[in-house]
Amino acid sequence: MAEVKKYEEPRIGVFVCHCGTNIAGSIDVKAVMEYARTLPNVIVADDYQYMCSTPGQNKIAEAINEQKLTGVVVAACSPRLHEPTFRNATKAGGLNPFRFEMANIREQNSWVHMHQPEEATSKAKDAVRIAVAKASLLEDLVPKSVPVEKAAMVVGGGVGGMQAALDLANAGIKTYLVEKSPTIGGRMSQLDKTFPTLDCSQCILTPKMVDVYRNEGIELLTYTEVEAVEGYIGNFDVTLRKKARGVITPAEAEVRGIVGGGCTGCGDCSEVCPVIKPNPFELGMAPRKAIYIYHPQVSPLIYTVDFDACVKCGLCVEACGDKKAVDLEAKDEFMTVKVGTVVLALGYDIFPIEKKFEWGYKNYDNVITSLEFERLICASGPTGGHLVRPSDGETPKRIAFVLCAGSRDSTGVGKPYCSRFCCMYSLKHAHQIIEKIPGAIPYIFYMDIRSFGKMYEEFYYRIQNEGAKFIRGRVANILEDPVTKNLHVNAEDTLLGRPIDMEVDLVVLAAAIQPSAETEKTRRLFGVSCSQDGWLLEAHPKLNPCGTTTAGVYLAGVCQGPKDIPDTVAQAEGAASAASIPIHRGEVELEPYFAQCMEDKCAGCGMCINQCPYSALSLVEKDGRTVMQVTEAKCKGCGTCGGFCPGGAIWMQHFATPQIIAQIDAFLLGGEQ
Amino acid sequence: MAVKKDYKDQKLSEKLRDRKYYIPDSNPEFIKDVEKIGQTAAHMCYQCGTCTGSCPSAPRSSYRIRLFMRKSILGLEEEILTDPDLWLCTTCYSCTDRCPRDLAPTDAIMAMRNLAFKRDIIPRNFLQTVQLIYKSGHGVPNNDANRAARKRLGLDEEPETTHKYPEYLPGIRKILDHYRLKENADRILAQGE
Ligand SMILES: Cc1cc2nc3c(=O)[nH]c(=O)nc-3n(C[C@H](O)[C@H](O)[C@H](O)COP(=O)(O)OP(=O)(O)OC[C@H]3O[C@@H](n4cnc5c(N)ncnc54)[C@H](O)[C@@H]3O)c2cc1C
Ligand code: SF4
Ligand code: SF4
Ligand code: SF4
Ligand code: SF4
Repeated sequence: MAEVKKYEEPRIGVFVCHCGTNIAGSIDVKAVMEYARTLPNVIVADDYQYMCSTPGQNKIAEAINEQKLTGVVVAACSPRLHEPTFRNATKAGGLNPFRFEMANIREQNSWVHMHQPEEATSKAKDAVRIAVAKASLLEDLVPKSVPVEKAAMVVGGGVGGMQAALDLANAGIKTYLVEKSPTIGGRMSQLDKTFPTLDCSQCILTPKMVDVYRNEGIELLTYTEVEAVEGYIGNFDVTLRKKARGVITPAEAEVRGIVGGGCTGCGDCSEVCPVIKPNPFELGMAPRKAIYIYHPQVSPLIYTVDFDACVKCGLCVEACGDKKAVDLEAKDEFMTVKVGTVVLALGYDIFPIEKKFEWGYKNYDNVITSLEFERLICASGPTGGHLVRPSDGETPKRIAFVLCAGSRDSTGVGKPYCSRFCCMYSLKHAHQIIEKIPGAIPYIFYMDIRSFGKMYEEFYYRIQNEGAKFIRGRVANILEDPVTKNLHVNAEDTLLGRPIDMEVDLVVLAAAIQPSAETEKTRRLFGVSCSQDGWLLEAHPKLNPCGTTTAGVYLAGVCQGPKDIPDTVAQAEGAASAASIPIHRGEVELEPYFAQCMEDKCAGCGMCINQCPYSALSLVEKDGRTVMQVTEAKCKGCGTCGGFCPGGAIWMQHFATPQIIAQIDAFLLGGEQ
Repeated sequence: MAVKKDYKDQKLSEKLRDRKYYIPDSNPEFIKDVEKIGQTAAHMCYQCGTCTGSCPSAPRSSYRIRLFMRKSILGLEEEILTDPDLWLCTTCYSCTDRCPRDLAPTDAIMAMRNLAFKRDIIPRNFLQTVQLIYKSGHGVPNNDANRAARKRLGLDEEPETTHKYPEYLPGIRKILDHYRLKENADRILAQGE
């Protein structure tokens, strides 16, 4: 295969698509078709309303048969959209599907040159000429099939990751669920109730957490992070760092020969620990010890030592006694697992809203965030569910909710997007204070109430009916009365056209959200792109919202963009389903765009080896000579080595030097070769 | 186009005037002029009210910066340029500091004032300020009370400006003359007498 081919006499068919008026509206399709007939090697040229339709595809197959074509060119939309379609049509006509070449005359032409029909037509002719030049040199290629490891990995154990892991495991796939914190549950376990049904968040989440823990198909790895990733779809080798937890599970105890040992979650250790730290789960509003659990419902129920805080006094070891669960000498451990596919469910963090100085968060005691509100209104939270003013512990009566706090903000300090669930949870918060605090009035400062989901608008209706006051205006600034610690909320009631100075007891900022802290690092390890705002990029915003452009890696939940629990769970199920397909098929086809070594030209210098970003190249002995060898399954066809090799010994299949030169010539010489 | 009904009584005519918004009453070019002079994308205003909520003028007057943004988008040129509120901005830039769409409402207002001045619509006190600057280099010249206060604070009676260095006044006058500001101020003020 790795030899420069002697080509048969090329016989090319060209098909120009109208795409309704998408293309024909600005390009003279007939003229392009007529022009194609004048090009060297072109045996037949045709045009059609919709080449992607069945009759359109049949034209290709028929022409291949009747005219004994050796290559096919379709001038239409982007290859991302219909290359697979036309490859299939080429195959149906009996040709190797890689003998197809596409000329994009829609996205890169008719759509951008809508008002320059003449220039657009001449550009389309160029594109066709270039494609014909390449098609004349195309060769048969065979995709490579590689086996798929029958295991999957889900990174992130929030509600999205839990759902994906459950679905995968229940579909019979061994699944590793990797969570960086000591427990699964994510943000949802911090919430009190959930809109629009107002069911208790923990009550609906805990059973799922237990399911995950009990499910035999799931290997739950908490307090664990992804350290390195190698490989490709079907065969990812993922190295994990199991952070030193300082406490062993009963299973681990058994391995160490400690009979009946390991953490039972009794909490005796925590009782005696002298070190007190703020509990991040309670957003620092409640204490925890250096040996701790986040909250009583954690899963797994295993304590964790915070080695940054621990003074190694050994009291916990004593308290734990014969269970011998505490191991103060624990070190990080590494393990490597092989999986076929991966789902990323990395969730989100709250935007540091103190950066918007005008609202005084972290400066004024009685300005809190919505997530802090969730903990304060929650019966298992730091105040036992009594909403209080941080300044004096009093029950607030007048409470202002600041919507779009840091969202829909183009200043650079803040986020340009809508965080999508803050309208709804602020309505929920309004309901909660009306329900819990007699006489309390919620004032909701909003720009638009976005209640788009099922039963959401009805929820809005309900909360308005319960007495919440809505003020249409974004809050300009907040000032604190230094004596009473009351807050003056300044805004304009834009419907009245009147400035407001509203004195309230408590302000709740519905702060924007942003990708979680480790998202950037983790996505790079898996080679997943992100959009400008940092959220992970789906393969297609409409038609492939769970996939990524890295084969075998899928997305679930907020890490792909803000979404509430129903949408998170729905996407997680979609991602799990997509991730299970290659595993159930058992093998995947890789595009055959591999580099090939032309051994007679290779000097065995090995300089290409380090150039390859995917470690796909190595040196081997062959017939007494040292030559380069490509591990095809690892090669992504990026062409780095091909462009680099000083001896020109690397043949990039489907993007070979003669093919590219022919394209350049066709463009520069205007087809007058 | 607004429907005109002629009542004999002038007051009644005004009271019952057609107040609907009709597209032909608006000038779509107006917002473009505002953006060109003000160098801000005023058409991107989403009417959140942060500007008015920040504005020190708003609580003490009927001036609503947000409404000027709105009207300029809709091209209500006549209404804007003839509205005395246009001149109530203090140019404190609080709105510009906070606008979440990163607009500069202050500069949009300045642009609209520019356009009004082109049509000789401008309050007399602004023109008197022009005359004062021409005369002294100051919109608010030094006075005896100030001089006494400065002295008490251990400062020179005259500040480090044209008051102390009147030799720079011709330069300032040259600028004002170049833009025919003084000439126009004198002319408009004379008309009003
Ligand atoms: C104040 C507030 C109230 C809300 N109320 C509601 C409501 O009433 N109803 C509703 O439907 N939605 C509500 N939401 C939205 C809800 O929180 C989210 O939709 C949901 O939590 C998204 O789940 P997730 O799994 O995508 O992300 P998360 O819950 O953020 O979970 C992500 C998990 O991944 C882990 N992780 C992150 N990075 C890594 C990494 N690199 N390696 C390993 N693990 C990692 C995290 O530790 C976390 O456990 C509310 C949100 C807020 C802020
Ligand atoms: S050894 Fe560390 S974790 Fe244990 S009780 Fe002492 S300080 Fe706490
Ligand atoms: S969901 Fe509502 S509060 Fe949140 S950013 Fe969007 S519009 Fe603003
Ligand atoms: S703050 Fe900006 S976006 Fe908001 S109303 Fe004023 S000008 Fe418009
Ligand atoms: S710059 Fe003018 S419009 Fe803006 S806040 Fe200040 S006074 Fe109001």
